[in-house]
Amino acid sequence: MQIRVLFFGRLKEIVGRAEDSVDVAEGARIEDLFTRYRQLHPELAPYRPSLVASRNQEFAPWSAPLASGDEVAFLPPVSGG
Amino acid sequence: MTPPSPMTNVQDLIRLVREPIEPLALIAHVRAPGDGAVATFDGCVRNNSRGRATLYLEYEGYEAMALAKMREIAAEMHSRLAIDRVAIVHRLGKLEIGETSVFIAVSAPHRGPAFEACRLAIDTLKKTVPIWKKEFFADGAVWADGEMPPTPPATPPPPPESHS
Repeated sequence: MQIRVLFFGRLKEIVGRAEDSVDVAEGARIEDLFTRYRQLHPELAPYRPSLVASRNQEFAPWSAPLASGDEVAFLPPVSGG
Repeated sequence: MTPPSPMTNVQDLIRLVREPIEPLALIAHVRAPGDGAVATFDGCVRNNSRGRATLYLEYEGYEAMALAKMREIAAEMHSRLAIDRVAIVHRLGKLEIGETSVFIAVSAPHRGPAFEACRLAIDTLKKTVPIWKKEFFADGAVWADGEMPPTPPATPPPPPESHS
């Protein structure tokens, strides 16, 4: 399944890109997707407890299953305003 | 009996912009003949952060989701308070000290709901809208500490028991 992944703020700086497109196995969850990036970029690990995930522009639990074509983002604590 | 408040007003103006925000235009936009009050919130760039002199800020956003969340805030304001029109505009990109980063204007027949809606809007925006601020100092830059938005529960509640 093809998933579009977006990175913002310090995560974008760690990963070195704002977006990515990845192929994941059927049944994969948002947490699995994060694990994949954490393995590529171990510096991501300490940020995990402060991140919130979104799926198709709505906040989603880390256990949310993915579907082909989903847009997933890992969101650092927000600081707008 | 009053009818329920509409969840949206077609005159609401929800935007992300990269150019300077013009507060007077937004105030004029929300002000209508049936209104007796316009309350506003002007969020501006402070020249210091935790004891350090700030040079400038950069804001970035998850734009599609940020707009969706800002529209949800407007809907919540209309559903809870007797207000007329809402304008919520957030600026992205590089902002200098003193510039407006977010401007909220709310019109209403009476002042109470206008004040309350304005407060609800900025307080909610700071918790739920995916926008991030990077602070630049003379000796470096940091992503500002932020708030973790509330997320849905990890597991859905069990289905109700069937008694059929």
